Amino acid sequence: MSVRTRDSLGGRAAIVGIGATEFSKDSGRSELRLAVESVRAALADAGLTPADVDGLVTFTMDTSPEITVAQACGMGELSFFSRVHYGGGAACATVQQAALAVAAGVAEVVVCYRAFNERSGRRFGSGVRHREPSAEGTALGWTLPFGLLTPASWVAMAAQRYLYTYGLTPEDAFGPVAVTARRHAAVNPAAYFHDRPITRADHAASRWIAEPLRLLDCCQETDGGQALVVTSVERARDLPQPPAVVTAAAQGAGRAQEQMTSFYRDDLTGLPEMSVVARQLWRGSGLAPADIDVGILYDHFTPFVLMQLEEFGFCAPGEAPGFVAEDRLPLNTHGGQLGEAYLHGMNGVAEAVRQLRGTSVNQVPGAARTLVTAGTGVPTSGLVLTRDGATD
Amino acid sequence: MKAGDELPPLEIGITRTLIVAGALASRDYQDVHHDPELARRKGSPDIFMNILTTNGLVGRYLTDHFGPTAVLRKVAIRLGAPNYPGDIMVLKGTVEEFDGATAVVRVTGDNGIGRHVTGTVTLTVPPGGAG
Amino acid sequence: MDDELHARLKAYEGRPAAVAGTGRDPVNAPMIRHWCEATGDRNPAYTGPGAIAPPTMLQAWIMGGLSGHEGRAQAYDELLSLLDEAGCTSVVATDCEQEYLRPLRPGDEVAFDTVIESVSQRKTTKLGTGYFVTTRTDVRVAEELVGTHRFRILKYAPRTHAPSGQASSARASSGHASSGPAPNEYVPSEHAPTPTGREEKAQGRQEAPRRPRPVVNRDNAGFWEGVRRHRLLVQRCTGCDTLRFPWLPGCNACGSPEWDTVEADGEGTVFSYVVMHHPPFPAFSPPYAIGLIELAEGVRIISNVVDVPYDKVRIGMPVELEFRSYDDEDGELVLPVFRPRAGEVAA
Repeated sequence: MSVRTRDSLGGRAAIVGIGATEFSKDSGRSELRLAVESVRAALADAGLTPADVDGLVTFTMDTSPEITVAQACGMGELSFFSRVHYGGGAACATVQQAALAVAAGVAEVVVCYRAFNERSGRRFGSGVRHREPSAEGTALGWTLPFGLLTPASWVAMAAQRYLYTYGLTPEDAFGPVAVTARRHAAVNPAAYFHDRPITRADHAASRWIAEPLRLLDCCQETDGGQALVVTSVERARDLPQPPAVVTAAAQGAGRAQEQMTSFYRDDLTGLPEMSVVARQLWRGSGLAPADIDVGILYDHFTPFVLMQLEEFGFCAPGEAPGFVAEDRLPLNTHGGQLGEAYLHGMNGVAEAVRQLRGTSVNQVPGAARTLVTAGTGVPTSGLVLTRDGATD
Repeated sequence: MKAGDELPPLEIGITRTLIVAGALASRDYQDVHHDPELARRKGSPDIFMNILTTNGLVGRYLTDHFGPTAVLRKVAIRLGAPNYPGDIMVLKGTVEEFDGATAVVRVTGDNGIGRHVTGTVTLTVPPGGAG
Repeated sequence: MDDELHARLKAYEGRPAAVAGTGRDPVNAPMIRHWCEATGDRNPAYTGPGAIAPPTMLQAWIMGGLSGHEGRAQAYDELLSLLDEAGCTSVVATDCEQEYLRPLRPGDEVAFDTVIESVSQRKTTKLGTGYFVTTRTDVRVAEELVGTHRFRILKYAPRTHAPSGQASSARASSGHASSGPAPNEYVPSEHAPTPTGREEKAQGRQEAPRRPRPVVNRDNAGFWEGVRRHRLLVQRCTGCDTLRFPWLPGCNACGSPEWDTVEADGEGTVFSYVVMHHPPFPAFSPPYAIGLIELAEGVRIISNVVDVPYDKVRIGMPVELEFRSYDDEDGELVLPVFRPRAGEVAA
């Protein structure tokens, strides 16, 4: 995909296998083992073996190197290995990397994975107190001495401006996103919040974390692993699962982009980097918002779900709270990261695949076209995944 | 009883036990009231009595004198020189006003290094209760 | 300590210091007995059927003890912080005035509210120069006012020489340095500053928890050097005159690597803000407000909004720059912070 011209990646590769560990607060095992378990599960789902794999992609933040995962999974030689930066912004981009490798013939079967003990080990939510004086560390360093130290607080700064600009309350704006996620999670046995739906009143009564964000605006932190198997569409058609075709894949960074601290540009009411992704995905897929059957929008915090809906053109700026409250798009049907698990967005890609296979716990009848996004507030990525033939 | 009457003095031995027991009974866990090492580290020669204990002792001084039927209405105290272990504080009182029912008593408490407390106590004294 | 400080302190009069606090335990016979044992009080009114609590125990029923105080309001901490920042780092309890409207009896469950009643003019005392802060606590049982508890502390800048009087001779006789802080500069925790650190350092020898430090490298050292000299420097591209913040070695507008700086005049408005509640960090005392300040020059900077209650910060609030020193275990840290612009405090 390109910012300026339509690319030739669409329709070349497909996700053919998905696999995950259980999602928990304390996995009791190493991050490497979680990675290996999820990769093996995804390969089994795809009807492939470790010996078939010649490419691996993960996040720069992942602690399990490709070569070590390959060793522990019983894989042989690798011809492609790659990592994507910017935290959860990498999620959909790992699939883009895999699709690029497959389309170019650099690799035949590429597994994308992300595994961590993000709850029992190093918790992102516990905040940052120190950074190296690298360019990246320095960028965050402008906020640290003043006590702006947590992901929730970085999101809250933009969320406050969103509320102010559109004259909304946190309860009315963010409540519907939280309630929708928990409603879906309630029927998902794999979800951390299985059988635990919430009401708007529950949301409004939950305690402040970083005003205007409450506890129920924040995803719960998770231990677990998630893997996805990507191969060519041609090979996919010979495998047991219906392929989820990568119809469009894109990364995006905006002008004056930062990681979580893009405070110094624009009006703070949108996600310009997601606009970059959206423009590419619509052009590459030939689809429009009305064509999308299911949206899986990255939801580590509720406010950015609203901004994504607006950046993708599902509704006008400031109208997303009503859009969500009215259930106008099946959204985060696995329960999202708010309800199922915080797997850095990779579990959302798996949910889109399930929808296309017809196996979601909140199945949208006949779902053929899905939109998936990756981390918000950071340089990010997105996918349009479709059933084979759905965009012909 | 009339204005100008002096109450008999009450001597209070400032023991380490009194300081610590008073601090804990008043739920005051500031370390300078029970931990000599930390108190010294903060520039004090030793632990010292907390204000709540002083308040309690002043109240006791009045009710000891006027008996169990006397009712304390107001106790106002100001602190001066600290009460350190090993010192003795002598509480003295002078009746400033008495209208037949309500007495106002001026209280002082001096220790070896100066005036620990000055205060004014207002109490209701039942008839005949002014022992 | 300037004249302006008193006006700022006065603004806290009438603000809550504790709201809807409740006693940790109902009034009870064991605590009464422990109190009487400690004070040697054998008054029969305090024992047996129909016993009342010693009236002077009033404050004991509302002490947080080791489990900490609850209901404490931000305004009181802010007031004490203002005094700390003005150099009035020491604190001494000076007065306790209690009025008892009716006796407390075992089983009574007390509730309390505390207001900042008054802040004095600057006073020079034997201990040093500072301000008396008086709080009044109303103690209630089932909505009935049963007592009031007025408490006065002196927040002061300690003299460099020993205060005159017996207290200093006591220290001298015990062989301690005469320049130490006053021995009784401790107050029950209900009235003490929240131990976020700065205060502890002032009171004792403990160091304050460390505030996260700016991340300084060759690309932004000039900014932090400016802050140390109390100048807020904004980069200006000498190719296209575009101002930029944060500091970077090139211009996003035109790509030019050439730049100089302009000094911000210090006026700005709150563009957005966050109130931090959770999780707590050692050097900060939640809730506290962090602002995204848009300077008059057009660039934005993250900073603290000071001298205003956290719940009064608003988008659009006019603010002005101030440089403050935050001393902790790592030494002095100077930060640019923003306070409401004089005369334009939001309602």
